[in-house]
Amino acid sequence: MLSLLRRIRYLIHRRQIEADLSEEIECHRLMSQRELEESGLPKPEASHESCRALGNVTLAREDSRYVWIWPWLESVWQDARYGVRSLLSQPGFTSIAVLALGIAIGLNTSLFTAFNAMALRPWPVPEPSRVVNIYSRALKGVLRGGAVGFSIAEFRYLVENARSFSGIVAMRSTGDLRLVERETRSMYVSGNFFSVLGVEMERGRGFMAEEDRIEQPEAVAVLSYVTWQSRFAGQPDIVGRKILLDDVPFIVVGVASRDFGGTRPERNDVWLPLASIQLLQPNDPMVRDLLRKPDHCCSSLAGRLAPGVTSQQATAELDLLTARFRAGSDAEASGVILAGTAFLQEAGNKGGKILPVFGLMFAAVLLVLVLACANVGNLLLARSAARSREFSVRLSLGAGRGRIIRQLLTESMLLATLASALGIAIAWTLPAYIIELAAGPVSFHLKPDATVLSFTAALAVFSCLSFGLAPALHGTRNSGESAKLSLRSVLLAVQVSVSVVILIVAGLLVRGVQRAGLLNPGFAVKGVCAVAFDLPTKSYDEARKRAFFNQVVDSLGPNSVGRTMIAPLASRKNFTNFRMPGTDANRDLIIQFHEVSAGYFDVLRIPVVKGRNFQAGDDERNAVLINESAARRYWPGQSSLGKTFTSGRHAREIVGVVKDAYTSGLDQIEPTMYQPARDNALELVVRSDNPAALQRLRATVTHLDPRVQLRITPLTELLDRWLSASRIGAVLAGALGLLALSLASIGVFGVFAYVVQQRTREIGIRMALGAQPRQVMRSVLASHFRPLAAGIACGGAGALLGSRLIQRYLYGLSPLDPVAYSGVAFLLTAAAIVAVILPARRALRVDPIKALRYE
Amino acid sequence: MGTKPLAPDLLPGTLDLLILKTLLQCSKHGYGIAQHIKSVSDEVLQVGESSLYPALQRLLLNGWVTAEWGVSENNRRARFYTLTAVGRKHLTVERQEFERMFAAIFKVLETA
Repeated sequence: MLSLLRRIRYLIHRRQIEADLSEEIECHRLMSQRELEESGLPKPEASHESCRALGNVTLAREDSRYVWIWPWLESVWQDARYGVRSLLSQPGFTSIAVLALGIAIGLNTSLFTAFNAMALRPWPVPEPSRVVNIYSRALKGVLRGGAVGFSIAEFRYLVENARSFSGIVAMRSTGDLRLVERETRSMYVSGNFFSVLGVEMERGRGFMAEEDRIEQPEAVAVLSYVTWQSRFAGQPDIVGRKILLDDVPFIVVGVASRDFGGTRPERNDVWLPLASIQLLQPNDPMVRDLLRKPDHCCSSLAGRLAPGVTSQQATAELDLLTARFRAGSDAEASGVILAGTAFLQEAGNKGGKILPVFGLMFAAVLLVLVLACANVGNLLLARSAARSREFSVRLSLGAGRGRIIRQLLTESMLLATLASALGIAIAWTLPAYIIELAAGPVSFHLKPDATVLSFTAALAVFSCLSFGLAPALHGTRNSGESAKLSLRSVLLAVQVSVSVVILIVAGLLVRGVQRAGLLNPGFAVKGVCAVAFDLPTKSYDEARKRAFFNQVVDSLGPNSVGRTMIAPLASRKNFTNFRMPGTDANRDLIIQFHEVSAGYFDVLRIPVVKGRNFQAGDDERNAVLINESAARRYWPGQSSLGKTFTSGRHAREIVGVVKDAYTSGLDQIEPTMYQPARDNALELVVRSDNPAALQRLRATVTHLDPRVQLRITPLTELLDRWLSASRIGAVLAGALGLLALSLASIGVFGVFAYVVQQRTREIGIRMALGAQPRQVMRSVLASHFRPLAAGIACGGAGALLGSRLIQRYLYGLSPLDPVAYSGVAFLLTAAAIVAVILPARRALRVDPIKALRYE
Repeated sequence: MGTKPLAPDLLPGTLDLLILKTLLQCSKHGYGIAQHIKSVSDEVLQVGESSLYPALQRLLLNGWVTAEWGVSENNRRARFYTLTAVGRKHLTVERQEFERMFAAIFKVLETA
């Protein structure tokens, strides 16, 4: 053992030790040269002679090195070869172990691959560590202390004056734009975006600074590689072609490289210069403010640090510049925050939101790994019991116990290595497939990289030690059987309890989704359609829009149509802050807001429980409705009717309370304030149980303006879309549960089969002496009844805790749902019958004569 | 006749034994060890560097000697080897074993 430590020390200080040796040998030569000189030889000849006498110095050094390394390496190699042979000799055991571990490691690696790609990896640009997101610290309002963006004017000021950056870029989402009849995800970016970030182009070029001038916007666009391939069939002459974005012509100047999917987690399709917002929203007064007003927040900024500048220096400079820019305005400068571009590092806690979800999933797959390790550990234990004769022979021939343990651990490591290879193969395909299924196109690459591979290597070592060490220690111990039994019992209990936890949680998730499908969302889904319009933005100003909507609504009759800002279940939410009378900005509260017409509540059958629905003139009066959640949260124990609050510079009065409904998502109901429909309510909900209504709608629209396109979606479809993500989650959880169950069953089966095999002789004698089958069966079962029961009890307790954590995803299902629990109990019973009764029956079929001759 | 390098495979452990014995009185550097063995054996045993240094590494690995840089009698930097307590014990054991072995070999050679 000590010599092993010395070897390790040698390996660590190898350079130093070898240098010492060289110096030492040279010393030796000098001494012998000196002696030769003293005996009368001239100096050059003495030197020559001493060299000759020394012989082959390299060989001496090499031999010395081998003393340290070679025998050790050789024995490792020996162990590995022996391990391979021993694994090959039991292909059944090996394949089950590799499969179980491989799947478990594969699941863990897959999840980590996704996590790494989503949260840990910075933007796919050259030298990503030099690129930072730039935020301004918010001083007031609900975002107080949080991180927000900058106005475009301030951005331009920073670009001109900041010396600590080799470039600063601005980015802004465009909202949905229509490209070739389909919605695209697009971004407005400053003209230097591609050059500063260093994005490689597949075709053409990125934007140039002169294409992003406010005074003279240019209609140019850069496409993503995927958009070029999917929408334009990868046409080689795409650069220079004209495309229509919301009916406005743009010229394609470039296609970004395949690796660059944008700077957000979702994949971006089209990039446009910031200034071109004037071309797409020519009549929008907001655009003027956005591009010119120094306090019109907020666009996202990012910058590439100049060579040699630290992020602290850059922060200091920007602090100074923003303070100078904002001096005298009411947007007080409060410092900037620089953060890395990996999703988890982004300020504003966006990344933090995904952590609990990933935490839960990691917990699940880690449990599967623990289960697989316990499983393989038990198999190894049985195997080492079977090999106990081999071990005692080797021990009596003089092998050290350490040597045998090392041999067994080498075998375990071989298993873990094989399993990791399988796991990496799984992680190569699975995450991309599942994410595409669950979340649609994403900007990041879902292939394992070096980080992922080291994670897998760590997993392999961890699992090797956890399944290999205890059996190796036990197998080489000379003590009695009892110790082995207790370890086996513990492993058995672990397997059972882990599988119970996973099964129950999976069962609850499956039931939750089932329930969500049946859930009363609190509003009418059947017979209602959401209608969105693609208006030719250029020719529609606010007045014309308003007129258009009034005419459409009038044509359908007020009771069968409602205007809304956001279609039901569209998973978009808008929040605003508001202030109770007599308080200041520091005590602002936050509420979801919505713009709807009175017809919205009629069509969706959401009852007004107190007060009244909207009436004509409510808009001017700044009257609002709130939902029950808002009334409960903000006006508890009092009537909210007639109460006032301030929001958006207006004092608003509550005229009615509507019943809670899951209109903005089935997961939860936010406190909501409804304002009367105005310029933002550009979608409709329409009663469509009468098909004539939709026909009339189409006819009206065609009559008003044939250029307007209609998009009609039944709410049932939106509901379905909403459920599909949870459905995929439930299916995955279910698959995980079944995997856990089968792993545990294999484990339980293995243990009982082993017990029966060990006791064949004893059973035979008992039967020969006239024992009843029932008694024999009972004694076999009794041997491991306690760990089974303990496992189920622990698993149940674990599941009770676990189900609290997933309550959010249960859509109101009780975490103690009897159906889920009894379903799991049924599955467990079925598995137990297979895993326990089959080996027990084999015990009963033991022929006493054969059993007595056994061995 | 004359001198003859000590064959490394003469008897396994012989060189180790000789080195340990050499170090029994005081610490020596590699050259000193070689010289000592040479002179004490009347120049019959000459230890080549290609076996001396690997042997010293082996002794280090087993913890029988320790090495430290020091200054030689000629004011030269040299590495001095010192016998450890474990090494001393090993020497006693090995020496008895060696003598037993030698006696046995003699016996075989002497009986016709």
